[in-house]
Amino acid sequence: MTDTPATKEPRTADIASWTARWGYWAGYITLQALTVLACISVLRLPLPDPAAAYLLTDAVLETGGTRQPVRLPYLLTSDPAPDTPQDFALSFDRPASERHTAWSVLVPRFIRGIEIAVDGTVILDSRRNPAASRPDRNIPEIAVIPATLLRDGPNALTIRLYAVGPLTGFLDQVYVGPDRALRPAYDGRMLLFGTLPVVFSAWQAILTVLLGVMWLKRRHEPAYGVLAIAMALGVVQAFVPPALVVQQSGFARLNAVLISSAPLEAACVLVFVIAFLGLKFPRWGWAIFAPGFLVAIIGLFGGAAMVRSTFLLLGPPTVFASLLTICAIVGWAAVTRRDGVAALFGCATTVLITFGINDMLSALDIVVDRRIQVARMSYSVMLVAIGIGLTWRFAKALNEVDSFAGRMVSLVRETEDKLRASLALEEERARAAALATERNRLMRDLHDGLGGQLVSIVALSERGAEGGRIGEAARAALKDLRLVIDAMDDIDGDLMLALGAWRERTATQLRSHGLPLEWHVRTPQGMPVHPELRPWHVIQVLRLLDEAVTNAVKHSGAGKIAVTIETIGDTAEGRRGRITVEDNGRGFAMSDFVQPGAGAPKPGRGVPNMHKRAARCGATLVIDSGPGGTTVRLDLPREFPGVEPSGG
Amino acid sequence: MKPEQAEAGTGGAIAVLLVEDDAPTCGRLRDALVGAGDFEVATAATLAEARAALKARRPRVLLTDLQLPDGHGSTLIRETRQSSPDTEIMVISILGDEESVISAITVGATGYLLKDAFPTDIAATVRELVAGHSPISASIARFIVRRTQGVAERPGIAPLNTAKLTPREIDILWGIAKGFSYAEIAGHLGLSRQTVPGHIKSIYRKLEVSTRGEAVFEALQQGLIRL
Repeated sequence: MTDTPATKEPRTADIASWTARWGYWAGYITLQALTVLACISVLRLPLPDPAAAYLLTDAVLETGGTRQPVRLPYLLTSDPAPDTPQDFALSFDRPASERHTAWSVLVPRFIRGIEIAVDGTVILDSRRNPAASRPDRNIPEIAVIPATLLRDGPNALTIRLYAVGPLTGFLDQVYVGPDRALRPAYDGRMLLFGTLPVVFSAWQAILTVLLGVMWLKRRHEPAYGVLAIAMALGVVQAFVPPALVVQQSGFARLNAVLISSAPLEAACVLVFVIAFLGLKFPRWGWAIFAPGFLVAIIGLFGGAAMVRSTFLLLGPPTVFASLLTICAIVGWAAVTRRDGVAALFGCATTVLITFGINDMLSALDIVVDRRIQVARMSYSVMLVAIGIGLTWRFAKALNEVDSFAGRMVSLVRETEDKLRASLALEEERARAAALATERNRLMRDLHDGLGGQLVSIVALSERGAEGGRIGEAARAALKDLRLVIDAMDDIDGDLMLALGAWRERTATQLRSHGLPLEWHVRTPQGMPVHPELRPWHVIQVLRLLDEAVTNAVKHSGAGKIAVTIETIGDTAEGRRGRITVEDNGRGFAMSDFVQPGAGAPKPGRGVPNMHKRAARCGATLVIDSGPGGTTVRLDLPREFPGVEPSGG
Repeated sequence: MKPEQAEAGTGGAIAVLLVEDDAPTCGRLRDALVGAGDFEVATAATLAEARAALKARRPRVLLTDLQLPDGHGSTLIRETRQSSPDTEIMVISILGDEESVISAITVGATGYLLKDAFPTDIAATVRELVAGHSPISASIARFIVRRTQGVAERPGIAPLNTAKLTPREIDILWGIAKGFSYAEIAGHLGLSRQTVPGHIKSIYRKLEVSTRGEAVFEALQQGLIRL
């Protein structure tokens, strides 16, 4: 062997899956075989019969004027005309010792109607009993013989058999004896063949309602609707009295139609199984309904013989075809999908097929037995299976919903946790960024003012300047420090609050120069509030004003300085704040600023700076200077810019 | 005037105790006051010296720095408020910032003085204080007013109980914060100009947490004490 593991492996896997597949098929088929065996052993169970002592088997059959001795159970050899009575004459002895006990006649099975007469007096007509008139029910009949009719010794018993298609007439062996001896067998059979079918029919009725409701609420699942129709057909068929009872009533036609119920039901169940397993229904599949409808139509318009032959021709084959298809589909689903419910349906179908074959063999006289029809009853096995299947699927769906909800909850929780973590991270990052920005701004602010002033102090003291100039520079440094600190306070966008402190500092400064600071607030509220106002805006505005005042003090020789605060603009959107600084000094020519440092007076150094600061805040600065004084007018923007321009 | 105060000042001069550990600053302030002519100044550089000086003689005005070599100025202010209720107390501050001024006010100061104030301003401020007029800056007024609006406490600054301030007092503080002069405020509010400085002192007094009972009340409010 030189096979490398690489080529070996897939082959082994193939073999494994192949083996597994066939293993499942083998298991499934074994299961069905066991089901068939179980069915056969159930069929072989003896039905309750009275003691053989009361058994009558010898009879004389009188039909159409001919007489022939027959042995019961007896199957009519040829189909007689419907009106021809088939009279079986029997005789029995009633001992004198039994005079005071009630005697009965028990006919355990017959097809399809009987009339019992004792010594020429009719004591029972089964055609009045709807249940007994159904050939698929195996209903026994018992009749108590009126004491006045009975004689000690031999008595004559006549049983007239009515044979109505599609099944051949049949009379089982007859028992005559004390009622107490016959009654238990009758009761046992009634329980099996009378009561149980009613229970099953009731069950079917409940299933009809449940499936109908389910279909109403879930229109996209036609499987339930189809099955509900099948169940409804079954229920109607079970409770409408059969033709034998109501010959001429309106039910007769309905009954003829209902003969088609079996093929239609089978077709419906097939459609249900296909839909239930989620398979695609082939378009030509609807053909399975055709035989049923054909039988129904013929039942409506055709004659009795025609109905019968059509039914025999189409009914059982359709039912069997449906059952075999179901069998194949559920078998396939059970094996390939490992679907437990499909396997259950498979077993139910097998039971139905087995019992159906039993009935067919019996009806076609291939197997000689006592004509017990079990297919209709075994249909209840199918019902049980369907009930279990639906409940199973419902419970599974509920579990899925539960686990889905649970999964969703944990998923949502996980996502929330992640979100919270990333949010915290984001917050942390934003905080760090804000801190860094703030630090940069603070550094620049300190650099602009305090740093420069301190350097200036160092320079002044090194050059042996007089104390006054050093003190002035130091004072300016302190003033600037206060400005920076003050601007950092939260003022909620009200620039007036910052200007209040600025006025104080400026007034103190001017007082030392013997200059008064005039302060006019023209509008009661001062200036509009700017929620977007940030400390760096405040610093720019205050420094700008500082420079305007310093220029006025140092270079203009002014006698007074006036600051005016007002709001300009009429409309709500157009309102802006305006700050004006005026002095009555000698002014300066604008050309002084073009070449800074060129002339002896150097007020100009501050002016480009002032324009720069105004531009940073988006404010408009107008400086108007003449011999009569200088006016610095700052028009604040309607909205302060959000981002500080870098540089400068 | 009470006897001891009459005794404190000689010939109408205002007795001042100046507590400042930085010698140049101390000298500058003393010169400013002495130069004004109507002050009699004693100086101390530490808390211990200040206590001794206070024991020897009760001044009309106590001027104290907050950061002292052997303790905090607020201790001295509180002691002085209790032992000598009529002494006017001013805190000497470098920047006039809220942290130093407000914390001094809550222990009993009714004024503040900037260390770099001009000599004339120094003498004028002390004289005004003796006359019952407390100085206040726009930023201090802003701070107090914003506390009345429920703005969150800033860490590092003593909590401020502004519940006792009247609406008129708050209006005055607003005016000061926005840079209006006393005259302008008086005009707006329909007061006489002379009463405005008195209101400031009253505001300071209301912010003071002086008595024992109030201290307990404050502590309760802050959840420091549980009954």
